[in-house]
Amino acid sequence: MKLPRFSRKTLCIPYAVFLLFFVVLPMLVIFFYAFTDETMHPSFGTFIKFFSDPTKLSTIVYSLVIALITTVVCLVIAYPVAYILARSKMKKKFVILMLFVLPMWINFVLRVNAIRELFNLLASLHGMEWLASANYFKTVFGMVYDFLPFMILPLYTTMLKIDDSLYEASADLGAGAATTFLRVTVPLSMPGIMSGVTMVFLPSMTNYVVSDMLGNAKVTIIGKFISDYFGNDWHMGSMIALVLLVVVFLSTWLSGGFKSEENVRGTVL
Amino acid sequence: MKHRILSIGLAALILLPTVSMLGGCGARNEIVLRVYNWEEYIDEGGKGTFIYDELHELDEEGDPVLENGKHVHIESDIVNDGYKAWYEETTGQALSEEGPHILDDFCLWYERTHGQKIRVEYSTFGTNEDMYNEIKLGNEYDLLCPSDYMIMKLAAEGRLEKYDEDFFDASLPENYYVRNVSPFIAEKFENNAGLEIREDEAGDPILWKDYAAGYMWGTTGFVYNPEAKDAQGNPIDVEGLLEELDWKIFTDSTFRNKITAKDNVRDTYFAGLGLRYQSELLELRERFAAGELTQEEYTREITRIFNATDDETITEVEPVLRDIKKNIHSFETDTGKSDMVKGTICLNYAWSGDAVYALDLAESGKNEDGEAENTVYLNYYVPKAGSNLWFDGWVMPKGANKEAAQAFVNFLSMPQNAMRNSYYIGYTSVIAGEEMEMLGYADYLYGEEEGTEDTVDYDLSYFFGGEASILADIEQATCRQLYAQFPSPDVISHCAVMDYYDKEASERINELWSRIKAETLDAWAIAVIVVAVVAIALSAVFVKFGDRIDLFRAKPKKGYRRIGQDPE
Repeated sequence: MKLPRFSRKTLCIPYAVFLLFFVVLPMLVIFFYAFTDETMHPSFGTFIKFFSDPTKLSTIVYSLVIALITTVVCLVIAYPVAYILARSKMKKKFVILMLFVLPMWINFVLRVNAIRELFNLLASLHGMEWLASANYFKTVFGMVYDFLPFMILPLYTTMLKIDDSLYEASADLGAGAATTFLRVTVPLSMPGIMSGVTMVFLPSMTNYVVSDMLGNAKVTIIGKFISDYFGNDWHMGSMIALVLLVVVFLSTWLSGGFKSEENVRGTVL
Repeated sequence: MKHRILSIGLAALILLPTVSMLGGCGARNEIVLRVYNWEEYIDEGGKGTFIYDELHELDEEGDPVLENGKHVHIESDIVNDGYKAWYEETTGQALSEEGPHILDDFCLWYERTHGQKIRVEYSTFGTNEDMYNEIKLGNEYDLLCPSDYMIMKLAAEGRLEKYDEDFFDASLPENYYVRNVSPFIAEKFENNAGLEIREDEAGDPILWKDYAAGYMWGTTGFVYNPEAKDAQGNPIDVEGLLEELDWKIFTDSTFRNKITAKDNVRDTYFAGLGLRYQSELLELRERFAAGELTQEEYTREITRIFNATDDETITEVEPVLRDIKKNIHSFETDTGKSDMVKGTICLNYAWSGDAVYALDLAESGKNEDGEAENTVYLNYYVPKAGSNLWFDGWVMPKGANKEAAQAFVNFLSMPQNAMRNSYYIGYTSVIAGEEMEMLGYADYLYGEEEGTEDTVDYDLSYFFGGEASILADIEQATCRQLYAQFPSPDVISHCAVMDYYDKEASERINELWSRIKAETLDAWAIAVIVVAVVAIALSAVFVKFGDRIDLFRAKPKKGYRRIGQDPE
């Protein structure tokens, strides 16, 4: 009996099946629900309802702003850390890196809960009462805390790859520290910045565990809306998910667009 | 060749789970009962169960010692030694003090009484809506445990089987449910607790009692800390303020960031209605007290107010909900209990079962030596303008195995099992017991001995359908666990049941909820942002493709050419 021919291609079948059933099909289902009504007939009703509802549009704006602030704060904290770690001649610098990454090994909900308790404790102190109602501040704080490792790691690995001779060359050609930083370090670390930004920006638009626990559920981001609507109106839930998908796609594409531009400049240098 | 063997091996490995799944499809002669219930809503055995906690420690006379060290002696059969004898007779097994799982006991009992092996496939859900979605998606179950409004919704949509007529025949010994259910609950199920009675497609009235058998019930109200202090350390008279403000306590600035609401639209909208229409509700209450209204008329009036979903009402309630949001510490589903115990907040809008849990937890505050050092005594208060009365009940979706499902409901309705479940989850069972067995249980938990100071006779005749009362501590009777678990007749007379929202109402209420939960920007702000986003998108397009589009391309100066451009 002749066995059916197995080749390397055959091994791809499980992945193709996986992609089909867990990526493509669910997308199609979301698309289907977004553009049908309760009777499952094609309809633009949900689409119109979404874009004529100022609350939903505002929530997208709020989520974008929260995600933007989170990303910027993460970048401002992570960049120097990654730079120092990558450039230092410390022998055990991986220990420090580990310390930054370590919280990721502890359950996410547990960490958020711990921060919640810390904030409650602080808010009970005299002169700190404002903290009890600073829900947006607490949400952004929680997100920065949670997503910081995702910013540090790609930055660190990119900066590690920058050849020391480039800095020397820059100094030889008469550039000062600031010029070297602006015209060598920043452009060359651009890929790291981009992947860090993507990894922080996207989840912080939808991670409503943080906004529920630290924002006391008084801060609503778009992810929470999706979850709420899937309780009773799948069509609106799917529509919001779809809009978010478009927003995410746009922002990835935008950052991709800027990236190639920077890369061009990088190679020109 | 090596390669091929490896590939086959891997392919086989990938297929393995499918094969084992096919093989696992049960032995013959065994029926399967698929039960879909709330999380943590049945005696699951082990610690925290009646058997483990209470039958472990008996004093010399064979009476249980309560967790607080109190020795109690009660005549009731179901609580102490009588329980063991009953258990052995029912399941044919010796009682393990480690606490058996009630589902295992059901299987043993079913096999003994029906001569048929049964297996329970038990799964759980977190909200009524999750459960509803599962059913709508076509998942099949034999028994569900939705709340009152969801029972109505499922029944109205024709998704439920009716109970057999035999099930309600009290003369048959195996019909434990109908024989043991509280007459108070039975009455509520007969007239849909005063809600408007709908008709099905055939024009027959849809009555709860045809479709549902009760499981647990309760009220909603406020858990509060009577010893709460303000920022300056001065005591706050929470009790007095609750009496005075009732629902309006939600927006009282004394409790700014010290009070919580529920993170779901039904309960919070209900609270909003209570707050907005408080004066009307109180007026109705007075007219009822003066005898101008009968109980039936009074219930109908408050039920109407608490179920109003028309546009006008929503417009009225919206600003109230905004004020609530401004004043509260958080919208919560779970964190309220622990925040209450820790003192982060001092008022928590809660379901009665959760209230009992929070009260117990606070009272058990022990230090490392097991001494009750950090004990906090919390209280429970049901708004006097009217509050929510709710039920969870067992229903059978279309296509259910009715015989096994009804046997399961009957098994859970034996007073001994009702007690076990009630003990484990802290909610109140709808079961009273033919011989008022559950009164013995309530007495066991909350009863005081004759002659103790500061006690009152706590009347529960309405629930047990006959002369029934417990000699209880005055605090238990007015604001503690007993009051939360077995509401007083006064509380009951002022409570209303929630109806389900029809499609339009549901949409209106959900929109309202999004407006409350999220912030809405002004139209001009949105316009500005939209323009900005479009501008950014366009400039991105320009950056990316600009030099490919001739329109944007600046003509190179004479004598120059672009890199990569063919020389002409």
